[in-house]
Amino acid sequence: MSNRLGGPITWLLVSVTVAMVIFILAPLLVTVAISISDTPYVVFPPRGFTLNWYAKVLRDADFQASLSFSFVLAVAATLGALLLGVPAAFAVTRHRFPGRGAAVAALLSPLVFPVLITGVALLQLFAVMGSNNTPLNMFIAHVLVTTPYVVRTVAASLTLADTSLEDAARTLGAGRWRVFRRITIPQIAPGVAAGSLFAFMVSFDNFPISLWLADAQHNPVPLLIFQMISNVFEPSIAAISTLMILLAMVIVVILERIMGLRRAMAI
Amino acid sequence: MAANPARVFAEMPRVQTRLRSWQLPATAAAGMLLLPALLFLTAFFALPALGLLSYSFLTQSPEGTLGPPLTLEHYGHFFGTGLYSHVLLTTLRISLVTTAAAIALGYPFALVMVRGGPLVNRALTIIVIAPLIVSVVVRTYGWQLILSNGKTGILNWLLLTTGIIKTPVTLLYSETAVVIGSLHVFFPMMVLPLASALGRIDPNIADAALTLGATSWRIFRRITLPLSLPGLAVGCSLVFSLTAGSFVTPAILGGSGAQMLGMLVDQQILVVYDWPFGATVATVLVVIVLAVNIVASRALDRRETAYSS
Repeated sequence: MSNRLGGPITWLLVSVTVAMVIFILAPLLVTVAISISDTPYVVFPPRGFTLNWYAKVLRDADFQASLSFSFVLAVAATLGALLLGVPAAFAVTRHRFPGRGAAVAALLSPLVFPVLITGVALLQLFAVMGSNNTPLNMFIAHVLVTTPYVVRTVAASLTLADTSLEDAARTLGAGRWRVFRRITIPQIAPGVAAGSLFAFMVSFDNFPISLWLADAQHNPVPLLIFQMISNVFEPSIAAISTLMILLAMVIVVILERIMGLRRAMAI
Repeated sequence: MAANPARVFAEMPRVQTRLRSWQLPATAAAGMLLLPALLFLTAFFALPALGLLSYSFLTQSPEGTLGPPLTLEHYGHFFGTGLYSHVLLTTLRISLVTTAAAIALGYPFALVMVRGGPLVNRALTIIVIAPLIVSVVVRTYGWQLILSNGKTGILNWLLLTTGIIKTPVTLLYSETAVVIGSLHVFFPMMVLPLASALGRIDPNIADAALTLGATSWRIFRRITLPLSLPGLAVGCSLVFSLTAGSFVTPAILGGSGAQMLGMLVDQQILVVYDWPFGATVATVLVVIVLAVNIVASRALDRRETAYSS
């Protein structure tokens, strides 16, 4: 009984929860509603219905450039993060060695440090190195911010994978490579897939790193939206934002299917 | 510690791993797997971060080059100037209020999540996590639409239409707006660790207390609350440090009405080009964030040693 909800304060708990659900969803729903408003300015409640803002945004050269740069950057950063993060996740979950705790702390340390300051530190490093190659600088920076997430998600899935299956295969005479290919890879594939999608979104959504390193030719979507907020007053920002929300929702559904959202986030 | 059958069973795979003599020594294998990631982190995270922090002790020449003499002058400038200590206090106040609001609203939410049954749990988990995958810029834009001053703001429209207020309220470009936006962005960071801690509490303890005649308030105060403190500590340190280090939310919702440390770093480095002073502000922010994290993990360690002995 006591572990179920019940008693006089239940209504209070439930009403706070309902209020917070509305609070969480409100800014997203409002953005979607504004994006279909048939008015040249933001007005609420939205008047009429139009998809013109989407048409306008999708034809916009700046948006196209930002979108393709963000996409390529996120794919490249995810691949880089997988190359660094998957072996590291293996090391900390499948091996017992002195300093393992310190290694985990080091791998996850970029998550504790303020991301904004990581960005300034990289700006300073690239300035000192004289590295003016914006796409390369941003690639390195995005690998840095996405790797900890890959480590966390893949480590979570490795911890859950049943090592006795590998032991059984070895006992039955399978070689190491064969065990890895036939048992380990299929077991951790969902975790790696979830980690990749998650890393992709972390890079695609990132603002506080890109802020320091982007330039006019390499302007990721979140920076474009930020710039538009201060100088565009029509619902086209809401249209771009809605596209970002829709992409996120697709990823949420896939993550929930392949690994369970909670486990994929590993919080 | 007595020989616990479950523990012995859990150790078995590890013992088997150690027995496999044909494997590389575990430390060497782990080292090879870790090396690329650790080298990358050293080159592009640890060293640049230390480099930036060291800039706060250097002097910038009129030509813009940095070098000796070493000085604490920038810290004196930061703490001695009313404008900057105001930004520091605003940052601390916004982070503190956001954390307090996240506790007050996140605790009931996490309780309902854990105790509302599997369907409620799954729905609330998705609702609380899904927005994390939406860019902070997009979510903050939504809040700007809601909180806009004048009649165009959605909240004002709602309050005027329902007759709750007669004249529009001014919310945007204030600390309140930044707290609302930050609460939205970091609410999951409070709820998820709390829900984990609450979910681990053995329901039999509360049942036993109830059988022995404890009231539900007493059960909450003596069982639920103390056992959820680790989750609360993690949640508080995450919400506080992420709010303190944020840029997008105060820049869009606060503007000049609620300037925070992150905006000051941005202004000093990208507008004023004062690297030593920008690095000083960055260092202050890093020290605040690390201090909060150290305090929280100390609190967790103390509890763990208290329970395991």
